[in-house]
Order: sequence, then structure tokens, then C-alpha cells
Amino acid sequence: MSVNPFDIKTVVLAKHAQHVVLIHFPIALFLAAVAFDYLAQRTKNKPFADAAYFNLLLAAVFTVPVVASGLAAWQWALEGEKLRGILLLHLVFGCISSGLIWLVFGIHRRARKLPDRSLPNYRLVVEALAVVFVGLTGHLGGFLSGVNGPG
Amino acid sequence: MIRKSVCVASLAAIIVLFFTISPSITAKAQQPAAVEVKIDNFSFGPQAQSVPAGTTVTWTNRDDIPHTVVSTDGVFKSKALDTDEKFSYTFAKAGTFAYFCSIHPKMTGKIVVQ
Repeated sequence: MSVNPFDIKTVVLAKHAQHVVLIHFPIALFLAAVAFDYLAQRTKNKPFADAAYFNLLLAAVFTVPVVASGLAAWQWALEGEKLRGILLLHLVFGCISSGLIWLVFGIHRRARKLPDRSLPNYRLVVEALAVVFVGLTGHLGGFLSGVNGPG
Repeated sequence: MIRKSVCVASLAAIIVLFFTISPSITAKAQQPAAVEVKIDNFSFGPQAQSVPAGTTVTWTNRDDIPHTVVSTDGVFKSKALDTDEKFSYTFAKAGTFAYFCSIHPKMTGKIVVQ
């Protein structure tokens, strides 16, 4: 059966594939944001800090459809059954990652409202922790999606 | 006279033995064999399986990650099977039963019940 990837019906009926597609956006945006933030920290360069902020904003926004599509996949594909093993770990790590991304964004947003826009140093630790959780979640998600499988 | 008695006794023994054993042989021949489908490396093996009606098919997940066995027509549906977990379904009626893994919809298979 030939499939037209630009057909709306095909896209909508692609079951939970949207989660696998959408997840790349917050991962890339957040990693880029952290990289820009570390650069801004080292160079004291304002454009780097701005780039970090706006990447973080988009990463946080993208976590919403990602979490929603993940939960929808759980309800749709597994009818909300009690999760175990890798599926449960992926869900828990995914929620923690999303929470940490929002926390980092919140720290940056609050700092931007201050007159000197100074960011607390502890946010670098939170960012590093978030990167670890994002990496672990993506690693488990890769296994679940069958990236290691045939074709 | 004794030889005749021995012959009759032997014949009787053979008849009794035949009637004792034959029902179990017949029953074994009539009992549908259990069929196993392995889930491994993101595929069902064999992908298509023909079985007589009344056969119980057992799917075993030999993969490292969870899979499900879900009938396209909603006839049967397993929970998420972790490694080495099994799911069985007895096919009472004839027909073709297509199924897939709801976590990985590209994984498909079918059971043809004759």
C-alpha cells in the first residue's frame, strides 16, 4: 500500500508516531539552549544568553505536545494499562525531564525580570541534571521505538 | 486343548490391548497441536501461520523490549509483554486473523485458521 506522507488523514492516523517525531524538537532545543547558556556564562556575551533563553522557551513549549502525545500513545496503544519496565522508566524519566526543562526556563525567565539579569550559578547544575535525564529518556525511547530493530 | 486356550487368551489380550490403547491414540491424533509464535528482533515468527480450528497459539516475547499482540479486528489483545512473557489465544472459528504490535505497528502477522 502506497502512503502519501503529506496527506492529513495519513498523518493523523499514524497512531502514536507523532510522539516519536515531536520528541526531537525539545531535545534539540534544550541541548542548544544549554550550550548557549554555557557559552554566555564563559564569554559574558548577551546574544548567547538571549539565544539560550529563546531556545529554552521553545523547548519548554514543545514539551507540552510531546508529553500529551506520549500519554495519548499510552492510552491508545496500551489502553492505559499499568506500565512496567522500560515503558514505566521512559514515562517517569520523560516527566522528570519535562519538569526540569520548565524549571530551567523558569529560572531564566525570573532572572530576565531582574534589573541586572543575573542568573544564579546553581542553574548550571540543574541544566546538567536535565541533560542527563533528557539523554536517559531519549535512550529508552530509542529502544522502545525500535531504532535498533530491522528497517 | 491347552494350545487352543492359549491362542484364545492371546487373541483376547490383543483385542483388549487394542481397545485400551486406540482411544488414546485417536485422542492424540484429534487433539489440535499447540503452536508457538516467537516475537524477536521486532518481528513475529512465523509471520503467517496456518492452524486447524481449536488450536491454541502462544506468542512468546524473546525480544529485549516490550511488545503486544493485538488482533486487527479486536478479537484478542494482550497486555504489554516483557521479555519471556507469553500470551495465548485459542482459535475456535475458521478465518484469517491479522494482528500487530500496538507499540510498533509495523510489526504484523496473521493466523489462518482452517
